[in-house]
Amino acid sequence: MILPAKNSPKERDSALLAAIAAGDRRALEELYLSYHRRLARFLSRFTPRYENIEEIINDTFMVVWQNAKEFRNASQVSTWIIGIAYRTALKSFRRQKNHAVASLEDYPEQTVDPTVDAEVNDWLKHGLNRLPIEQRLTLELAYHMGHSLEEIATITDCPVGTVKARMFHAREKLRQYLPTLGGGASDLPARIG
Amino acid sequence: MTSSHRTEIEHHEVSALIPWYVNETIGERDRQRVDAHVDSCVPCRDDLAVQRRLCEAINSQPALDYMPVASLKRLHARLDAMQAGAASSAPPAGQPMNSPTPWRGWMAASIAAMAVAVALLAADRWVQFESRSAQANFHTVTNSIPRPPGEVIRAVFSPAITLVELQTMLDEAQLRIVSGPTEAGVYSLASNATLPVSASLALLRRHSTVRFAEGTLPEPESGNSR
Repeated sequence: MILPAKNSPKERDSALLAAIAAGDRRALEELYLSYHRRLARFLSRFTPRYENIEEIINDTFMVVWQNAKEFRNASQVSTWIIGIAYRTALKSFRRQKNHAVASLEDYPEQTVDPTVDAEVNDWLKHGLNRLPIEQRLTLELAYHMGHSLEEIATITDCPVGTVKARMFHAREKLRQYLPTLGGGASDLPARIG
Repeated sequence: MTSSHRTEIEHHEVSALIPWYVNETIGERDRQRVDAHVDSCVPCRDDLAVQRRLCEAINSQPALDYMPVASLKRLHARLDAMQAGAASSAPPAGQPMNSPTPWRGWMAASIAAMAVAVALLAADRWVQFESRSAQANFHTVTNSIPRPPGEVIRAVFSPAITLVELQTMLDEAQLRIVSGPTEAGVYSLASNATLPVSASLALLRRHSTVRFAEGTLPEPESGNSR
């Protein structure tokens, strides 16, 4: 299925999903290729193994293929797909013993001192890995994927208040784990910039 | 409600909106609310600065790009298997699964099916007998797929290889992709220059992301594989 280039991404996604609902495998292929990079980048923040990433993406698109007929335009297609990926990833991460969040107990109970760690990425990764998976996913959906509060509520199938609470706790925990975040704002730019 | 209570409630509500102020998805009304509050609230102003830097730091972390083609082929294979399974378990068209059928009808259908099966078996035997060149019922990555023009090497890469890594590796070995990946993830590679195929192969095999690399031309070194 080839769509005119003038279509907006939203219109394009809707047209592709309608074609998928009618059994068009080429449309599924097109939608898969347009979402693969975004989903793979997002998921690679939680698991380093491409096998896991591929499994989550392919499971997501199996659901898209099977449930395209059920889509009622209550949300954007992108929010719907990312919501499926979110639930699939959540199940996968909980199932795996070796993913980052499951191994939190392996970390010593101490905060990270950014003045000791040479790389900003290291201490940031360490702090993020210490968050419960729902809080981490919420933070990443907002800061990495750039989703609005309402979109995250739809993606995670939670009330807006729950999303705000998860984000609040994530921010508070990062303050504990990363003392510079909780202290003067002036400490951080030198480390990150 | 006292003025300090209202201020406290406003502080908590605005504080909760800060992440979406940072990622610029907040509505105009809420944006103005945050602007007004942050002007007079030092903790929220500090928090806003911290959240902005956190957001920047998260987005400045290196990201890998993966090649989706092989993954897509595996998705197609799963869909094929699912559809084949659904087709084999579906009842014949126009006949409900649990409808009563007279035994005579079943017997007639069985006899007809057996007759067709016997005829097909006989035809198959005849074709096999007539065939002068027996075809193997399996294929390998090196000898059963028609060779694309210019192909000198077939290779399989790790599914985790990035586009940048693959391109760098191919440039180094002076190769280019002419076909693939197949369902098994096999790429056909052609030579870009006068570098001997054996040298290109050796360069490929140095990389841990190359799972298999084999020359397809009849050269002495083509017997080695990774």
